[in-house]
Amino acid sequence: MGYVVAGYAFAFGGLALYALSIWWRGRRAQR
Amino acid sequence: MMKLLSQRLLGPVTLILLALTFWLGLWVTPPDKVQGNLARLLYVHPAIAWVALYLSFGTATIASALYLWKRSRSPVMDRVAHCAMEVSLVFIILTLITGSIWGRPAWGVWWAWDARLTSTAVLGVFAVGYLALRRANDDFELRARRSAVLAILAAINVPIIHFSVQWWKTLHQGASVFTESGNFKVHGIMLTTLFISLAAFTLLFFWLLRARYRVQVLRDERERVSLDEALTQRRREGVH
Repeated sequence: MGYVVAGYAFAFGGLALYALSIWWRGRRAQR
Repeated sequence: MMKLLSQRLLGPVTLILLALTFWLGLWVTPPDKVQGNLARLLYVHPAIAWVALYLSFGTATIASALYLWKRSRSPVMDRVAHCAMEVSLVFIILTLITGSIWGRPAWGVWWAWDARLTSTAVLGVFAVGYLALRRANDDFELRARRSAVLAILAAINVPIIHFSVQWWKTLHQGASVFTESGNFKVHGIMLTTLFISLAAFTLLFFWLLRARYRVQVLRDERERVSLDEALTQRRREGVH
C-alpha cells in the first residue's frame, strides 16, 4: 500500500504544486 | 449562458471529480485479484498519461499547426501551444513518476529502457526543448514559427509511444482496459472509477490550460507595455 500512497501523493501533490505555481505567476504578472 | 456556466462550473466540477477519484481509488474499489492494492494506481497513471500524451500534446500540436497555417495564424494559437506544452510537460513528468512507482513492486525495477518508457521520456525531453527554445528568442514571429515546427516534429513520437507496446516486446503491459475485440477487461466499480478519473484529469487539463493562458495574456501585455515604454524613452533621448 506504501507504493500506492506514494503514487497518489506524487500525482495529486504534483498537480497541486503546479496549480499553485500558475496562481503565483498570475499574481506576479498583475503587480 | 453556456459559456458562463462552463466557466463557473469547470473548477468546482473538476475538484469534485478529483476528490471522487481519490476516495474511490484509495478506499472504495476492491484490491485486484492479481495485482492486489497496486491496481489502485490504475486510477491515476493512465488518466495522467492520457492527458500528457494525447490531450495536452495534441492541443499543442494542433495549435502549432494552426499557427503555421496562414489563414488561422494568430498570437492566440501560439499562446495556446505554449501553455498546452507546459501543461504536457508536467503531466509527462507525473506519468513517468507514477509509472515508476508502479514498476518498482511490479517489475522489481524503478526504471527500464523499455520502448514505452524510453519514448515517453524522449517526449518529455522534446517538451523541455520546446520551452527552452521559446526562451531563447525575443523576436515574436521567429519564436512562434520555430517552436511550432518543433512541436509538430515532436508529435511524431506520440504514435510511436502509443504503438510501442505492439511493435516491440515491452515490459510495459499492453491495453489494460479493452480486450482486442473491444470489450472491457475491467468491470463494476473499478470501471466506473476509471471513467471518473479520466473525466477528472481531462477537466483538470482544461482548467489548468485556461488559468495558464490567462497568465500568459497578462505576461504578454506586460512585455508589450515595457517595450513601448523603452521605445518612448529612447525617442525622448533622441530628441535631446
